[in-house]
Amino acid sequence: MQTRLVPGCLVAIVTFAGAPSRGASRHDIPPFTPRDSALHALDRLAYGPRPGDLDRVVRLGVMRWIDQQLDPGTIDDRALRERVGQLDVLRYDRGDLAGIFVAAQEERRSRKQDTAAATMDPAGRAGPDERAARRLAGQFQDLVVVRAVLSERQLAEVMADFWANHFNVFLGKAADRFLLPDYIEHVIRPHALGHFSDLLLATAQSPAMLFYLDNWESVAASFAPRQGNGRAGQRPRPRGINENYARELLELHTLGVDGGYTQQDVINVARILTGWSIDRPRQGGDFVFRARAHDWDEKVVMGVTYPAGHGQDEGIRLLRWLAVQPATIHHVGSELCQLFVNDEPPDGCVDDATAAWRRTDGDIREVVRAIVHGLDFWAAANVRAKVKTPLQFVVSALRALGADPDTTPRLARVVARLGEPLYLHVAPDGYRETQEDWVNGGALLARMTVAVALSRGDLPGASVNLDALLPATPDYAQLVAAVDTAMLAGTMSENTRRVIDEQVRDVTDPVMARELAVGLALGGPEFQRR
Amino acid sequence: MPISRRVFVKSGGIALVSLGLDPLFLARAAWRLDRPARPTSGDSPILVCLFQRGAVDGLSLVVPHGDSRYYAERPRIAVPGSDVVDLDGYFGLHPRLAPLKPLWDNKSLAVVHAVGSPDPTRSHFDAQDYMETGTPGRKATSDGWLNRYCQHAREHVDTPFRAVAFGPQLPRILAGSAPSLALESLQAFGVRAEGAAPDRLTQAFAQLYAGTATGLLASSSDQAFAAVQELRAADPTQYAPEHGADYPRSPLGRALLQIAQLIKAGVGLELAFADVTGWDTHVNQGASDGQLATRIGDFAQALAAFAQDLGEKLRDVVVLTMSEFGRTIRENGTGGTDHGHATAMFALGGSVNGGRVLGRWPGLDPAYRFEGRDLAVTTDFRDLFGEILARHLGASNLSAVFPSFTPDPSRFPGVIAG
Repeated sequence: MQTRLVPGCLVAIVTFAGAPSRGASRHDIPPFTPRDSALHALDRLAYGPRPGDLDRVVRLGVMRWIDQQLDPGTIDDRALRERVGQLDVLRYDRGDLAGIFVAAQEERRSRKQDTAAATMDPAGRAGPDERAARRLAGQFQDLVVVRAVLSERQLAEVMADFWANHFNVFLGKAADRFLLPDYIEHVIRPHALGHFSDLLLATAQSPAMLFYLDNWESVAASFAPRQGNGRAGQRPRPRGINENYARELLELHTLGVDGGYTQQDVINVARILTGWSIDRPRQGGDFVFRARAHDWDEKVVMGVTYPAGHGQDEGIRLLRWLAVQPATIHHVGSELCQLFVNDEPPDGCVDDATAAWRRTDGDIREVVRAIVHGLDFWAAANVRAKVKTPLQFVVSALRALGADPDTTPRLARVVARLGEPLYLHVAPDGYRETQEDWVNGGALLARMTVAVALSRGDLPGASVNLDALLPATPDYAQLVAAVDTAMLAGTMSENTRRVIDEQVRDVTDPVMARELAVGLALGGPEFQRR
Repeated sequence: MPISRRVFVKSGGIALVSLGLDPLFLARAAWRLDRPARPTSGDSPILVCLFQRGAVDGLSLVVPHGDSRYYAERPRIAVPGSDVVDLDGYFGLHPRLAPLKPLWDNKSLAVVHAVGSPDPTRSHFDAQDYMETGTPGRKATSDGWLNRYCQHAREHVDTPFRAVAFGPQLPRILAGSAPSLALESLQAFGVRAEGAAPDRLTQAFAQLYAGTATGLLASSSDQAFAAVQELRAADPTQYAPEHGADYPRSPLGRALLQIAQLIKAGVGLELAFADVTGWDTHVNQGASDGQLATRIGDFAQALAAFAQDLGEKLRDVVVLTMSEFGRTIRENGTGGTDHGHATAMFALGGSVNGGRVLGRWPGLDPAYRFEGRDLAVTTDFRDLFGEILARHLGASNLSAVFPSFTPDPSRFPGVIAG
């Protein structure tokens, strides 16, 4: 029989179905308690437990908690809504933000023009528009941390982060400074547990993506734009197709790098999407199809013919077709298994994901449900097998302490310092889930430094009240046990217990001892895993 | 237990996988097995890369003052011939680069002009990405060319300081499976906590990781704690630049000072990297004086101080500067320049074939311009980078470092003395 960390309702299946030998070997002896199942679910479908979460999930039953998370609309999230209501970035639409950012840009330009003798620190004298633009961008990054820490709809936040990286857009590229908030709020988040094909189409028609991967200026080779005045320094008029989006659409968004397409397919995809553009990007305009810039000739993509004479409809047909290709299902399904199960996605998990995908026409909610109900998700070998990303590390530490994030961008800066500046991944592949991208010597030392600062209440942007969670006590054995329970859900290793115990024994002040124990626990190896 | 083919091949066996050893950990562990112990001589070659982010105006760094078109195109921002530091009657250094002239004269400084990317993009972020991954036109490359060099040239001493970037994050150029360090400052490297004894904390964390961590967490933390210890032994707080070197108090000055520290500490540094920002001069860039001149002055003073400080040790070092593209030949309506194509890069060091402007100069004639407006690229940056890797660091497998590009020694600009 397989030994797994199996929640109640799955035990029957595992016991009687005699599941094929995938997952853990029988030498793994997993702890088998409902608490362990709850911790695993909170580590993977959420950003780790907050004080009291484990008990709540155990009481509710882990599978019922998972079902709730898969249906976030039913979860009351009032506390988060109130907090988010304090952030004004969400009160502006794309056009408002465009106005602010363009004004900031002009302010910066004229300021530079005025100060001929340049200063080494041009940021020092930013004007009101520049400061507003910077504040709003910082707020939007901070929103990621605030939501991840406070939202009750944890899985929805995990999925929003996943898709924001799968369909990455770089906040630092010109107009994307003001196009990105709308992209995250109205393209990524509403579809995060919806149908993949809708999400794909929404990204393809989003000004943020059209701008980021240059498709907005991709035009038919035969297209002759109206002549500009040709003055030096003017942006050259678009000439011919730009393949950037077409290539990443195939390689990253859908089929995957080994998806069986050729360079000619990339070119023809780009031709199909010619004319997919933005109506006045500097004013935060919407998607527009420019019929004059479109290539109306026949194209063939991977053996499928797109007859001559078609406009925007052939692009939609192409995207819907890409969304259901076996290579796409395998590629995106594997990424989801990487997110939820293991950096090396187990074949069984990918099989579960693809089967659910086919059955439901790419309903992401059902794909995630299938992964989480699958045997691999609960296999002992996959428990605590993943290393946290910087975002996951910071957020899970804040949650473990029951800390309250403020609405300044300071916590987002902490995440950036650990290597993951939010929305600022330059390349279209987004931040990865795999440990090799995050684990290096400097980054680990930085995590330890953050853990120590957080334990002392010194981390800018977060308020921590340890008294509520871990009353200071002169009984250090009890302190270490309490830290194990509160920070590590009882997973503290013998070595960690011994080291922390030795360290605190040299500290006479119980409050300082408590800080030290918490800092070591959060910065130590157990807490880096999930 | 399911084993994907990839895991199996990478790790060489099912037994290792079931022990919970992940492939990257194995890859990194393998470095240690292959690498020789640290030699005592301490004169192995070192490469320092400086990235001028924002696209530096190569025509202001190394001015074609012998070409009247340069003055015709830039009525407000051209550097007058009377101000340039003449090099060969046609080219001259920007006057604020004068501190580098002695290095030019003693043949340690070379210029490669009209160098850049074969990709036509004028997007900063695309072009920087291409220059760091070493794969122009290909956005999905996951690692940087400096890291790939480390992956393929493994006969290096066992040290956590082989590849070091100064800054909060590892730059794309060093991203990849070979271990490299990102650090903001040598003094702050380690576990930091105000008021606490950092040594003690570091020691406690070292014990935690040594006893509990597995896989990559174990090997990386091991590397980190070793680095902290070595740095402590080298005592960077006591550093005083030598030979009267006077570093500017700018980010570049601080970075180069610390690179010099690491070089002299003999910790096995092979690759160092730092960013220099502020080159995106769309507005009011100025000429002999002004905004750009200030940046150039800082750049020159920092490099001159670095060379001064290293003294004899400069023999083993090459400093290579790079920037994602150059700027328009013609000045724009706001006294600046816009995104162009080719730019100029410097190589400074003992093994440099200095005192000359290398590369083929395409001229400013509109007929030879890129897209009719910008300085054309006549040297693919990979030929320049490749030559330095091959002839300075001794890299033998350049096609692994620059995939789908075969560097050809006949196209090397000749920046390293033969």
